[in-house]
Parts: sequence; structure tokens; C-alpha cells
Amino acid sequence: MRDTTGADWAELLRAANRGDAAAYARFLRAITPMLRGLVRARGGGLGPETGEDIVQEVLLSIHLKRHTWREDEPLRPWLYAIARYKVVDAFRARGRRIDLPIEDYAETLVAPAVADPTEQGDMQRVIAALDERSAVIVRAIGIEGASFAETGARLGMSEGAVRVALHRGLKRLAALRKRMVE
Amino acid sequence: MKTDDLISLIAADARTEPPPAPVLALALPLTLAASMAGLVLSLGLRPDLAVALADPWVVAKGLLPLALGGVGLVLALRLARPVAAPGALPLLVAALGVLAALSLAAALVVTPAAQWARHALSPSAVVCVLTIPAMSALPLAAMLAALRRGAPVRPSRTGAVAGLAAGGLATALYSLQCTEDNPIFFVLWYGVAMALVMAAGGLAGRRLLRW
Repeated sequence: MRDTTGADWAELLRAANRGDAAAYARFLRAITPMLRGLVRARGGGLGPETGEDIVQEVLLSIHLKRHTWREDEPLRPWLYAIARYKVVDAFRARGRRIDLPIEDYAETLVAPAVADPTEQGDMQRVIAALDERSAVIVRAIGIEGASFAETGARLGMSEGAVRVALHRGLKRLAALRKRMVE
Repeated sequence: MKTDDLISLIAADARTEPPPAPVLALALPLTLAASMAGLVLSLGLRPDLAVALADPWVVAKGLLPLALGGVGLVLALRLARPVAAPGALPLLVAALGVLAALSLAAALVVTPAAQWARHALSPSAVVCVLTIPAMSALPLAAMLAALRRGAPVRPSRTGAVAGLAAGGLATALYSLQCTEDNPIFFVLWYGVAMALVMAAGGLAGRRLLRW
């Protein structure tokens, strides 16, 4: 399976940076098979659930560090640099030293789309460790697909406050993930 | 949580963080000014500063660490991005190091051998090695705090380069107080002090610059 060109992804991410949430979701879904392929190619033996945990960690990191991509730069090397750093780190934290050569991205095969194996994974555990309000927001927007307005109404918060809380919640998730695995 | 749900969650978050450079543009001058104020209030500037600046060694004494600090700053900011392209900057650092070594060699040539120990072992070495790291502390903290907003893929190395920046700039400020104008003293002891700050930066980077 060949993956889509970096140029398409770059366009999607550029649109995302302008505030197009739908483009951002398409971007993240488009790159996920590539990330899965990367993790599976290197992580044989850790199992599909752990592999998916790592894919989620990489996605979250790409999100939180997306401001480190300059829009006039090629996207694939940046994407790969982040994935490489997080994957090596994730494996090391789980007791496995792996090696990811810098040029590997050109040859990475896309992992076939399979049913998402992770329901009860690392992410679920850290959500449980969040404060109550952040956990409600995460579940409402992520799982239930509620809007900011609906979520705000439920919690007695303004839409803007929910947006801020979501962002902080995601940062907190990443920090908890790091601490949990170490 | 299913990956697809996580993606829905992430895609809903439109807020971003400021990158390192704007944060540093504010924090670094402030912390350097604070260090400078601390220096002036404690040890004071050298009284003969205006006259001394006629001596090329005195100018070099300030310019070399300033240049090293400046290059370190630019390099650290580059290293804060995952696709870091250091370019020729590490070579520039090496070239400045060579310049410093040449200054030392030149000084050894023009200074009578009987006086080498007097310069190298001057008691002001203690003040130097204590004060420069002290002056580097806040600027280094500012650098690390800013670099955390980036995504450095070599945390320890990036921290050490941050130490070069903070140490170099602090040393340049310190040189306005220091009256030891022979390279035998300052290449050695400023070098030791900056190396200490770089080591501290590298250790701190290992913990603080991971993400």
C-alpha cells in the first residue's frame, strides 16, 4: 500500500493551522497508517495494543508540537523526526532499545487499516488520572462527539473556557503519559 | 480510548503554544540585566574600563565570549526544532575556540615564562569560576524554559548549547568587571567557567528538555 504524498498532507496541515478542524482531522487520520507501519516495523514483540498506545502518543506529540513545523519546509521529514523521537523514547521506556535510521521514512510501508485494537489502553488510564472537569471535557468531545457549546452548557462554562480547558487537558495527558510510562 | 476518538479530540483543539524565540526575546535580556545588576552591586565594574578598552586583549576578552554566546543562542534555537539543521554553526563555535587557543598561544609567546604561573594561578580565578556560573544561572533557566516550548530531539546536547549561550553572554558581562587582561588567565578560567555552565546545561537538558 503506498501512502499519499507529503504534499497533500502539508496542504491539510496548513489548512489546519488556519483553523480548519475538519482538515486537521483528515490530516491526522491520513498519517496514522504511516505511524502504525513505523511502530510495527520496529516493535515486533510488543503486541498490537502497546503499538497502538505508542501511535496515540505520537499523534498527541505531533499535535502539541505542530508549531515547530515551518510551512515552507517539507512536511515528511518533520513528521518523521517527531515520530522517530517519540517511538524510540516509547520503546526505551518499555525496556526495548530500538534504532530508527534517519532516512527510514522513504521506505516505510503503510500498515493496513485494521480494527482499532485499543479500547482500554494507556490513554484510558491517564484520562482516569485527570481532574474531573478535564476528564468530562475529554470524554464529551472525543468520544461522544459533543460540541464546545454543548459541553460548556453541561459544565456551566463558556465555550471559550472549554476550548482553553481542552488544550490544557491535552497537555496534561501528554505529561501524565510520559510520567506513567517512565 | 480508540485512536479515532483521540483524533476527534485532538482535531478540536485549535490553540497553540508560542514557540521558543518570542519567549526568549523577552526572558533572556531580562535575566542578563538582572545578572548584570547583581554584578555591579556586588563586585562593581572595573574602574579603568574606558582606558582598558584601548587594549586589544581586553576587547577580545569580551568579544570572544560574546560571539560564542551569540552563536550558542542561534544554534540552541535551531536545535529546538525536530528537523534541526545546525548548518555551519558548530564550525563557527570551533573556529572561535581556535581563536581563543591562538590568543593563549600568542600570550605565552609574549609573556616571560617566569610570569606564566602568576597569571594562571591568580586568586581572582576563584571569583571568576564562582561568579560566571552564578551570573549564568538565570539566563540558563530562561533558555531552558523557552526551549521547552520547542521539540529538541537531542535534549542533552541542546541543553549544553543553551549553557554555551548563557555562559558566553554572562562571561561577556563579567569581563567588564574583571581586571585580569592576560589571555593566560582569561582563556583558561573563562573557559573553565563556561565549560561548567555547559555541563550544567547538558544535565538540566537531559531532564527538562524531554517531551
